[in-house]
Amino acid sequence: MASVAGESVTTSPPEPAQVTMRGRVRGNPWRRPWGMEGFTWLYIIWSIVPIAIAVLFSFNKGASQATWQGFSTKWYVGKGVTSVLHNPSLHHAVIQTIVLAGLTTLICVPIGVGFAIGIDRWRSRTSNGLNFLMIFSFVIPELLLAVALFLLVTQGLTFIRLGTPAEVAGLVVWNLSWPAIIVRARLVSIGHHYEEAAADLGASRLGAIRRVLIPMLLPAIFASAVLVFASTVDDFVIVEQVSSTSNTQPMSVLIYSNVHGGLSGPALNALATIMLVVSLIAALIGFVGYRWLSRGERTKGDVEALTAVAGI
Amino acid sequence: MPEMSGGHVKLESLTKRFDDVAAVDDISVEIKSGEFFSLLGASGCGKTTTLRMVAGFEPPTSGKILLDGTDVGNWAPHRRNVNTVFQSYALFPFLTVAENVAFGLKYKSVPKSQRDSRVAEALEMVQLSGYETRRPNQLSGGQQQRVALARALVLRPSVLLLDEPLGALDAKLRRTLQVELGALQKQVGITFLYVTHDQEEALTMSDRLAVMNRGRIVQLGTPEEVYNEPADAFVADFLGVSNLMDAQVEPGGNVKECCHLRLGDFTLEARAGQLDATGAVKVAIRPERIHLHPYQSAGVNRLPGMVERLVFLGSTTHIYVRLATGAALQALMRNEGAGSPYSQGTPVSVDLPADAIRVLPDPGVSVAEIRDETLGDQLLDVTSSVPASS
Repeated sequence: MASVAGESVTTSPPEPAQVTMRGRVRGNPWRRPWGMEGFTWLYIIWSIVPIAIAVLFSFNKGASQATWQGFSTKWYVGKGVTSVLHNPSLHHAVIQTIVLAGLTTLICVPIGVGFAIGIDRWRSRTSNGLNFLMIFSFVIPELLLAVALFLLVTQGLTFIRLGTPAEVAGLVVWNLSWPAIIVRARLVSIGHHYEEAAADLGASRLGAIRRVLIPMLLPAIFASAVLVFASTVDDFVIVEQVSSTSNTQPMSVLIYSNVHGGLSGPALNALATIMLVVSLIAALIGFVGYRWLSRGERTKGDVEALTAVAGI
Repeated sequence: MPEMSGGHVKLESLTKRFDDVAAVDDISVEIKSGEFFSLLGASGCGKTTTLRMVAGFEPPTSGKILLDGTDVGNWAPHRRNVNTVFQSYALFPFLTVAENVAFGLKYKSVPKSQRDSRVAEALEMVQLSGYETRRPNQLSGGQQQRVALARALVLRPSVLLLDEPLGALDAKLRRTLQVELGALQKQVGITFLYVTHDQEEALTMSDRLAVMNRGRIVQLGTPEEVYNEPADAFVADFLGVSNLMDAQVEPGGNVKECCHLRLGDFTLEARAGQLDATGAVKVAIRPERIHLHPYQSAGVNRLPGMVERLVFLGSTTHIYVRLATGAALQALMRNEGAGSPYSQGTPVSVDLPADAIRVLPDPGVSVAEIRDETLGDQLLDVTSSVPASS
């Protein structure tokens, strides 16, 4: 879309400076947009600098989070200090985060893909309602869902224990919209022709889904898996409500509960840095993987892969 | 090599309604085994819906689809021994050319050892040997079209359905492929049911064709019959350029093998079409049958007119003439190197040979309305409104 607008600009012949109604000469309309560029950079700096500082202090030699005292990796791997590697609760938080993200992705994505195919290919009044429900989870406050989930598992469905089972259940529900919406968008753009062709060549309904639809949906499935993973790593509200012991606290909860007292110092920065790196790696895998999976198609290059990973 | 396994198609009172609109309205037609049969019509006439019902993508509202005597109307597509070449080709982008062609063989009881040779044979038939490992997006439009053809033909269907398969190609390639497709059909001997809006395609390739309008078949016959003897004004206008005019049959003008007509202040003799018609009629004449003579030269069926516009088309020139009656006609003149003797405003005498004037029943609508109809109604195009419009 952006490229179309860009083309129309570049293909128009440049015109001389025009005189406006007020008689003032306006500048070249194809000049560099300094104002816009400046604002963009300001925005990038504003959002990146605080993160960069937090990451920087995870490598501080001293115990301060404000004064730089030289480079060290002791808050990650050091012995004798509260480092991520040697402090059991920090160490465990990393593992818990990865476990939650992995389990949630494994459960959430197949259900979401099934939802998407069901909503899009078997149209009915029910499927229209479900479609609305998918968007619903973007609208309701996460805290509301978290509190409701807490009540449900403590008062009603007590077989779902607090801790990992309840955390996974909540995260699956909360993230289900990602695969459902992304895969459905792809289904709409694929259209019915390929399934019809498969059926025409002898494939049954399920055969057409398995042999044609799923391979064609793979880029979208992959992109949504990456998004679910990254969003689970970042999640705080749900896991904070339904985690039970310190053993089931992921990184986000641990950082929150220790930042004003308790465990503090650069070890928390180190933990936050690990969280950031995990999310970034997931996004990178998503970007590269999407491009690789959709290589057979005429892609519009990076822009399309990025927007697919971003879920637009 | 070709298996002449039936391929006889019979549609009986076939009807398809979408809500209140009858996309296909009570069609009955019999297609012989091994025939190249075309459904021709403007967009929205119901031709693609008919094809989709034969393929199994749409259930008929009523009527029968008999394939070699068995009613397959409610069978799932994968159970029918018919295959389709889609307008969009619908080649699977994640598979190579060979894998695309082999896709359907898995469902036929073809032993694995024979699959490769069947694929190679099919690709050779469409002249694409050596392209096995390419992916669809590495092929040109014409090559993709051939892969789609090979993918369907490799299954040796009893009927091959083709939905505007040349629609997405440029004019020159389309001409070449028309000839190839016709030859291929004769070679494999499979019944072809071909859907197109392009009258040239339908005329050049078909053994027989059915012209459709508003969900009905308006004329059925060989290309020569349909072109030379159009049943009504719609068919006359749809197939090729045709000059349509309003006329009145003179009282008592129906003489043996001749019909006297009145056009404004002039009288004409007609010797083709419905010579026993009375009252208001439409008359049609093909541009290539009109001759222009110097102004005021005498003769039967000569009307005064004036050249309005000349359109040079290479081998021919279209001459737009306005008759003294007010009617606009197109005449076709071959370019033989001497340059056109006419220019805008030249007064001429327009010779309309009696045996070229065809008397057609008056459909009760104006010439302009018929012309609109032959251009098709995009809004009623059922095929485009079916997929994914929630």
